[in-house]
Amino acid sequence: MDVFIAGFGVVGQGITEVIRDKQELFIKHFGEKVRIVGAFDTKSLALDPSGLDPDELLKRKDSLGKVGKDEVSDDIVKLLQDTEYDLLLEVTPTNIKDGGAGYMHIHTALSAGRHVATSNKGPLALKFRELTELAERNRVHLRYEASVGGAMPVINLSRELLMGEEIASMRGILNGTCNFILHRMKEERFSFQFALREAQELGYAETDPSYDIDGIDSACKLAILANAIFDRDVTYADVSRTGIRGISEEAVALAAEHKQVIRLIGEVSKEKLEVAPRLVPAGHPLSIGGTLNIAQLLTDLAGDVTVVGRGAGRMETASALLSDILAILKNGETRRDAKR
Amino acid sequence: MKVNVDLSLMDMPGQLIRALEPISANNGNVIGVIHDHEAIVGGRITVNVTFEVHSDLALENILATWKENDVIMIKMDAVFESYPLQYLLVGDISSKEIESLTHGMESMEGLASMDIRITGSLTSGSRAAMVTGRVTRHGSLETVEQFFRQHADNGGYMLIRGLE
Ligand SMILES: NC(=O)c1ccc[n+]([C@@H]2O[C@H](COP(=O)([O-])OP(=O)(O)OC[C@H]3O[C@@H](n4cnc5c(N)ncnc54)[C@H](OP(=O)(O)O)[C@@H]3O)[C@@H](O)[C@H]2O)c1
Repeated sequence: MDVFIAGFGVVGQGITEVIRDKQELFIKHFGEKVRIVGAFDTKSLALDPSGLDPDELLKRKDSLGKVGKDEVSDDIVKLLQDTEYDLLLEVTPTNIKDGGAGYMHIHTALSAGRHVATSNKGPLALKFRELTELAERNRVHLRYEASVGGAMPVINLSRELLMGEEIASMRGILNGTCNFILHRMKEERFSFQFALREAQELGYAETDPSYDIDGIDSACKLAILANAIFDRDVTYADVSRTGIRGISEEAVALAAEHKQVIRLIGEVSKEKLEVAPRLVPAGHPLSIGGTLNIAQLLTDLAGDVTVVGRGAGRMETASALLSDILAILKNGETRRDAKR
Repeated sequence: MKVNVDLSLMDMPGQLIRALEPISANNGNVIGVIHDHEAIVGGRITVNVTFEVHSDLALENILATWKENDVIMIKMDAVFESYPLQYLLVGDISSKEIESLTHGMESMEGLASMDIRITGSLTSGSRAAMVTGRVTRHGSLETVEQFFRQHADNGGYMLIRGLE
């Protein structure tokens, strides 16, 4: 299978390393290699139909800040339409205004009959139905496990392993940064500002943290889950959203007196769609600390099913993308198969 | 409504079934039966039965049938189920607001108990109030939530709900 990588930052480089290291697995299970035939970032393009050397791409990015030697083409649409590849790995930055370049890349690849696996939340949190219908019409796969909860396999678990279950609701912690801040406020009696600064120093929070702490990131993920698991047709703007800015030391201490912790919880069912701080009894699975993500699914036969995992990170996100690559290898015809 | 009764029955085969039959005949549900064979007084035994009925009329019918069938009721308690509520309010919450919340809650139908604990100084503009309590009907939880949401929206402070 030939892959094209759009974006070569933390996740793009992570998945390149994974593809390099998992060749034996691909051959053992599917009898074929996974080759990177193209990759681009904002400044450059690398292209070779016979396969690029992952180490060379990583080295060049590291030393020169560019993935390729060539200038990136002005006409990305044409590039994604005309190049021969089976799967687009879309790992450019999330844009929640209009989906940005990621939306254009995914739309173009699906329209051209290519499978897509992505970690990019923007296009899915805004135009889920349009993109999934486009994939269906073109008989290709659009997979997005990496867009929600990093290495926590909530989407594929719900849609595949729990396929026979009626899932009534999902509650979970979908943002590791907020969880880290709330955890530190309780454990160390830090103020919100102090805990936020610590999260920024440790690299968990961006310089502009509003995307995390105002619940926007969680709302994007919740919208994706609502569409993917609960068959709803929503965007991130439909999510009722309260962030964690207003949470004071007094509030955290008072909750602790009552053996409760405060957590930013996303909740989705057929009727509910909300991200808000909630009181969680200490010891409850959702009272988990640190940067972990967790999702609790309420099912009709199996009861509560809880899944926990690292919500972000280079290898964690690459691991989720790998699960999608494997699923496509398992279920999807590659273009070369189709041509045979 | 859940009801708990002590019944005095003749210590003879079939008497317990005779006592339980009217409950199911009136669409009630037997939840528990405690049968004390040791304590036979004057040929009668005491049985403790907990059951659920859906209306006062159903309960009246059951009591009337027992009377007809020589099932003597020694004691009856209504056992109300109650549901916990928990809210944490955070921000600029005035004493007047707390008073208005307390009055509003107290006049609410179905409130079994309520407690408000407040921390933080009035002048800091940052207080926290934990409201805990119980309501007797599950449906009341929604009314209570709406009441708090409305107050928090109007008062411009944050409302943190329990998980339920
Ligand atoms: N990092 C995580 O742990 C994580 C976890 C889950 C999901 N995600 C999602 O995965 C995606 C990638 O995240 P990341 O952490 O890898 O981001 P990143 O480190 O900022 O990398 C983004 C990459 O995309 C490239 N890029 C930006 N705009 C582009 C455009 N218009 N066309 C082509 N390339 C473009 C950048 O190019 P330059 O290198 O030239 O700047 C960079 O290589 C995001 O959507 C993010 O939300 C990330």
